[in-house]
Amino acid sequence: MSDHSDNRKAAPSITERAGQVAAPKGTERSHILLILANNAPGMVDRVVGVLRRRRAQPQTISIGQSEIPDVSRITIQMNDSEVGVEQLIEQLRKIVDVRHIVNLSAEQAVARELALVKVNAAAESRAEIIEIGNLFGAHIIDLAQETVTLEVTGSEEKIEKLVALLQRFGVREIARTGSVAMTRDL
Amino acid sequence: MQSTATISQMAEEARNATAHHVHEARDARELTGSQILCEALIREGVDLMYGYPGGAIMPFYDALTSYPALHHVLVRHEQAAAHAADGYARATGKVGVCVATSGPGATNLVTGLATAFMDSTPIIAITGQVARPFIGRDAFQETDILGVTQPITKHNFLVKRIEDLAEIIHEAFRLARGGRPGPVLIDVPKDVQNAKTLYSASAPISSIEHYRVTRVPHPSATAIEKAAHLIGEARQPLIMCGHGVILSNAYAELQAFAGKTRIPVITTLLGLSAFPETHPLAIGMPGMHGPAHVNRAIGQADLIIGVGLRFDDRVTGKVSEFAPHARFIHIDIDASEMHKVKRAAVPIVADAKAALTALLDAVATGNHDQWLNEIRSWEAQATERGASIERNLECPDPICILEAIRAETGGDAIIVTDVGQHQMWTARHYTWTRPNSHITSGGLGTMGFALPAAMGVKMGLPDATVWVVAGDGGIQMNIQELATLKQQGITVKVAIMNNGFLGMVRQWQHFFHNHNYSETPITGPDYVKLADAYGLTGMQITRRADVQAAVRKAMQTGGTVIIDFVIESEANVYPMVAPGSAITNMIEETAWESED
Ligand SMILES: Cc1ncc(C[n+]2csc(CCOP(=O)(O)OP(=O)(O)O)c2C)c(N)n1
Repeated sequence: MSDHSDNRKAAPSITERAGQVAAPKGTERSHILLILANNAPGMVDRVVGVLRRRRAQPQTISIGQSEIPDVSRITIQMNDSEVGVEQLIEQLRKIVDVRHIVNLSAEQAVARELALVKVNAAAESRAEIIEIGNLFGAHIIDLAQETVTLEVTGSEEKIEKLVALLQRFGVREIARTGSVAMTRDL
Repeated sequence: MQSTATISQMAEEARNATAHHVHEARDARELTGSQILCEALIREGVDLMYGYPGGAIMPFYDALTSYPALHHVLVRHEQAAAHAADGYARATGKVGVCVATSGPGATNLVTGLATAFMDSTPIIAITGQVARPFIGRDAFQETDILGVTQPITKHNFLVKRIEDLAEIIHEAFRLARGGRPGPVLIDVPKDVQNAKTLYSASAPISSIEHYRVTRVPHPSATAIEKAAHLIGEARQPLIMCGHGVILSNAYAELQAFAGKTRIPVITTLLGLSAFPETHPLAIGMPGMHGPAHVNRAIGQADLIIGVGLRFDDRVTGKVSEFAPHARFIHIDIDASEMHKVKRAAVPIVADAKAALTALLDAVATGNHDQWLNEIRSWEAQATERGASIERNLECPDPICILEAIRAETGGDAIIVTDVGQHQMWTARHYTWTRPNSHITSGGLGTMGFALPAAMGVKMGLPDATVWVVAGDGGIQMNIQELATLKQQGITVKVAIMNNGFLGMVRQWQHFFHNHNYSETPITGPDYVKLADAYGLTGMQITRRADVQAAVRKAMQTGGTVIIDFVIESEANVYPMVAPGSAITNMIEETAWESED
């Protein structure tokens, strides 16, 4: 994260949040929170509300069905210090609908994201786009007169790399799901 | 990662799973939602509620007349219903109940819910909602009260099916009471109140099984051992206790622990009356308006044992300079309070009573008399300095009003304060001895709290003498409740410290805004006539010599009595720490200032 410490007017850094009094600057690192929560009305609202009120800055949030009926699984990706995350977890734990929370470091997690990328594809560049896509294991899910739409799954970095390579053809639209993750079994 | 940062309390909770009693549903009857509401409330031990009817809650009010066991108090504004339920809960430790209709009725509860949420008091709010087919259509008096109250309740429910109603009510009570208490709202659509289903008064009460309602979470043995070690090593330790001691009824444990270790005791605003101020170890209140010796002691302490408090900014001032030489043992039932403001060397997630009991066993007998004497010598210096200041002895002053109330009630009264200068004077200058005798809105600082809250306190403790101490600003915020007091025949005694200003704001303007008294001069009604208009008794006192007699007369007069004490208009609360500065950096009183 960029350091705005010399600029007093800058937006408050996350290191000024509650629970971070003792966290030295620069101790933030990537965390993935896995939350299992009852799929009750308003549950998502409550979770997101805690993040907002406690000034956490998630990078991605994704929500879907878990292996348990009526229980949703929420994956939140964020940069934060250890104490800050612990604080936030205890706040999230107080939400009645929340059943379980796990905090994974990047190393402990297997994380994947899905992206759809729509690229300008004139006749002469089409083959090249498809070839780049192949290198990333992407599928062509739509071919139109002027565009190709690729579907790619992988780590955030992989998706970013693919997008970067496609930029010169003209990327029209990107849709990303945000990461979903699981614990890496030993 | 540092292991002290791990504050999970899962293991403690597993041991405390709620036990269920199994009954037979042999007494099932078909009842309406409204009847079920009444039945379930009675089953939860409720006999009193505060509320105000309206369209969406009318079926409930219709059923109410068939349940004489439920006494309903018609307030004059729903905010007062929430504060009264809150006052009742604070005074009795039981769950307070308030009721309102949808839309404006429900939104009028909001300030009261936020007040209870900040101070961790258990109340249940029942709101009517438009009928299910109208929800989401901007129907007449439809407000998304779940959305509105989500950040200021522990949890809230919309009852979508009549079959879930009874269970939701019981769940709501369990949530309100359990762990760190707080408000819970139940929104009941009008057609659910009218719908019918089988209800059995003896059906088992189930619960949301995963929610870790831990009434008495016990501290871990390792944490206690570590804490005892730090306590044994400390040379200048302090105990700081907050509302948690009162909520967990840990008065005796606190006294035993302090007595054994001989560690001086500080009580926060919400901790006042958790420890008797006549005790030789009691040194006072910390923070923005704490006496100098307390803040100085915090500045020099090498160990702070925080019990049931959350290190609010009015207590800490500038956090980086708060107790800079101290390590912290932090006892709180809410794990999310650990390391929130100050990094705790030993975080103890537990009920205050359980933790103090365990600590008492683990610690050795101690002696910190030298440290205590040093603190006392600072206190004596301040007293001496105070005595040398020339004062206006003509008009009633806050201290003599408080002394008179204490003298005339033998220290047995419950004092309910509003918010402002009078609140700080009362906190500082009343000598708190009766456990849980100080009731105030600390976290939210809600003006208008005192009068309705006192109504709840008095109805919860009918044998207690209840005094309201309020400013002339705050008393006018819920003054309409005088009518409720009259209608219900409830007796509270009201002392208005009338300075003709929104005093605390004026004080800030005095210190931090160049004496620019913008919108702080305030007038009020003739309180003697006002009391009379409500059928109550009023007095106005303008001379100090008459204070004690007036208090005595108020005690001797039946019913609610209002005394309008005309105090010095520009007196300040001293000492004061400017917001955001270190608490050791205090503005002290220098000379009598009311003549400038
Ligand atoms: C509902 C509400 N509005 C505004 C404030 C801000 N406020 C805090 S103290 C105070 C002045 C209170 O004046 P008064 O009731 O006369 O008491 P005094 O300070 O004079 O004792 C105000 C306006 C508040 N705490 N609550």
